[in-house]
Amino acid sequence: MMMRARFLRSILVCGSLLCLAGCNDGGGDPKAQIGANPPLPELQQYLLPPMHIAKVVGWKKGETPTVAQGLKIEPLATGLQHPRSLYTLPNGDVLVVESKAPPAAAIKRPKEIVMGYIESWATSGGNTGESNRITLLRDTNGDGIPDSQSVFLDHLNSPFGVALVGNDLYVANTDAIVKYPYKEGDTKITAPGEILTPLPGGPIDHHWTKSLVASPDGKLLYVGVGSNSNITENGMEAEHNRADILEVDRATGRFRIFASGLRNPNGLTFEPQSGALWTVVNERDEIGPDLVPDYMTSVKDGAFYGWPYSYYGRHVDPRVQPQRPDLVAKAIPPDYALSSHVAPLGLAFYTANNLPEQYRGGAFVGEHGSWNRQVLNGYKVVFVPFSNGKPNGMAQDVVTGFLDSNEHAQGRPVGLAVDKAGGLLIADDVGNTIWRVTSSGSGTSPAARL
Amino acid sequence: MRPTVTTYDETLVATALIAHRPIHPMLVPIPIVCFVGALLTDIAYYATAEMMWADFSAWLLVVGVIMGVLAAIAGLVDFLSNRLIRAQAPAWPHLIGNLVVLVLAFFNALIHTRDAWTSVVPVGLVLSVITVLILPITGWLGWTMLYRHGVGVTR
Repeated sequence: MMMRARFLRSILVCGSLLCLAGCNDGGGDPKAQIGANPPLPELQQYLLPPMHIAKVVGWKKGETPTVAQGLKIEPLATGLQHPRSLYTLPNGDVLVVESKAPPAAAIKRPKEIVMGYIESWATSGGNTGESNRITLLRDTNGDGIPDSQSVFLDHLNSPFGVALVGNDLYVANTDAIVKYPYKEGDTKITAPGEILTPLPGGPIDHHWTKSLVASPDGKLLYVGVGSNSNITENGMEAEHNRADILEVDRATGRFRIFASGLRNPNGLTFEPQSGALWTVVNERDEIGPDLVPDYMTSVKDGAFYGWPYSYYGRHVDPRVQPQRPDLVAKAIPPDYALSSHVAPLGLAFYTANNLPEQYRGGAFVGEHGSWNRQVLNGYKVVFVPFSNGKPNGMAQDVVTGFLDSNEHAQGRPVGLAVDKAGGLLIADDVGNTIWRVTSSGSGTSPAARL
Repeated sequence: MRPTVTTYDETLVATALIAHRPIHPMLVPIPIVCFVGALLTDIAYYATAEMMWADFSAWLLVVGVIMGVLAAIAGLVDFLSNRLIRAQAPAWPHLIGNLVVLVLAFFNALIHTRDAWTSVVPVGLVLSVITVLILPITGWLGWTMLYRHGVGVTR
């Protein structure tokens, strides 16, 4: 085992040396690729892709991420198992979706052995105990802040998205949207779920998180289905109904492709002012430290956003064969780049009034953090100001310090939500914590501020 | 029958042996088959864009390089520990040619770690062709040492 580890490591060292000789790998200033129309360098092809993932060390007692001025942060729940997304119920209860990746598919290439081994350094944080369940956090003392935790729904299949419409609670497992009966105040669901519609799951299930949101009128559900590969290396037949946002009829379970070419769409949310559906998307890897910028975008009905054939509109990816110039011609660029490889997985528009004025109406984005560039990028929560339903201005760092001074990950942010009292909640899937960000001047109640 | 031919020179004996059988010729066919196979599966991928073929190539190259390195180690042991083997005319060209094959195949294996089309076309396929073009030459030199000079042959 040691021999194998040393052998793999020496291969990687050789690879990075080759790359140092052959290419300038640090990448440019990540901030240059934020906003509409980011500069896109020429693509480069590696002998070995850079793999630089922050090693997970976790939080010691009392340690927290760092917040921007005017804010404070505290742990709301700890000791969770890989919490990945959050949902606030109407009565203020918060659902924490704890989720593990589905079992790996059969290995297709020697590359997967090496990459899986390296990735195991980074994701070891949450794979120790029971997961694939939803934990309920409840406010028991009436201050609007959840303070007790219990298991709400167990034995799920790599769940991610949650949506409540009336008394129907939908959970997006990796392979199906499942409906459960829910009454306000329930602390546990024991009823068996009912499958509304199956979703593309295994045996290959590369991007497995299925983000879910209900339309404002409650008739439709939108579900993000990520691609089954980086760039079609598992074959085109594995991509059926993937890299899409599907629109599901809640009454019948019938679905159609609402938008396509979105490599790994997450954080599906309706923008409050325009009513448009927005998503954050993880773009493709292994063509350079500054390619391709991940992004957030409004999602137009019937639109095609490029994957796999092209990125940012009509920039053709030579790795896809056969090419489809007809589809590339239709591809539209997304609205707002978030910088390359930051891995946005959470999106929340802020319409409450606890946080300072400047944050109201804008979007928070949880950036899980990069693996495919030498200089780490992401590993933070940023704020994108909006006006008139569109991004308006530079993204600002709001919650940082997930990496320590050695660039080890104490935590990594994923899903976001806003709780009933207006606090911003952050699921930290390797720190196994839910963080709560509030205004530092306000106490915890919005009333105290008014 | 000429006794001078059938009685091999004991001093050309190999050093890397299993039960008096030289290891190098036992291992050498494996990388040769792997690299020729990788060329065939690269061509199949080029013709079909069917990922299965590119996956085959990636495995064949990795196994070929690993077994090729083992064969090279056995060959080097024989080469370095016997001055008379080193003195054979085909010995150096055989060594250098196969070193080139291994280096090319190593880079080819790295190229094949790319995703989808550019893992093969065009650089991977070109490297596979060059690798396989060198193999008959170095193979010929190796067979010359074994069958004509009797390197590694004991009686």
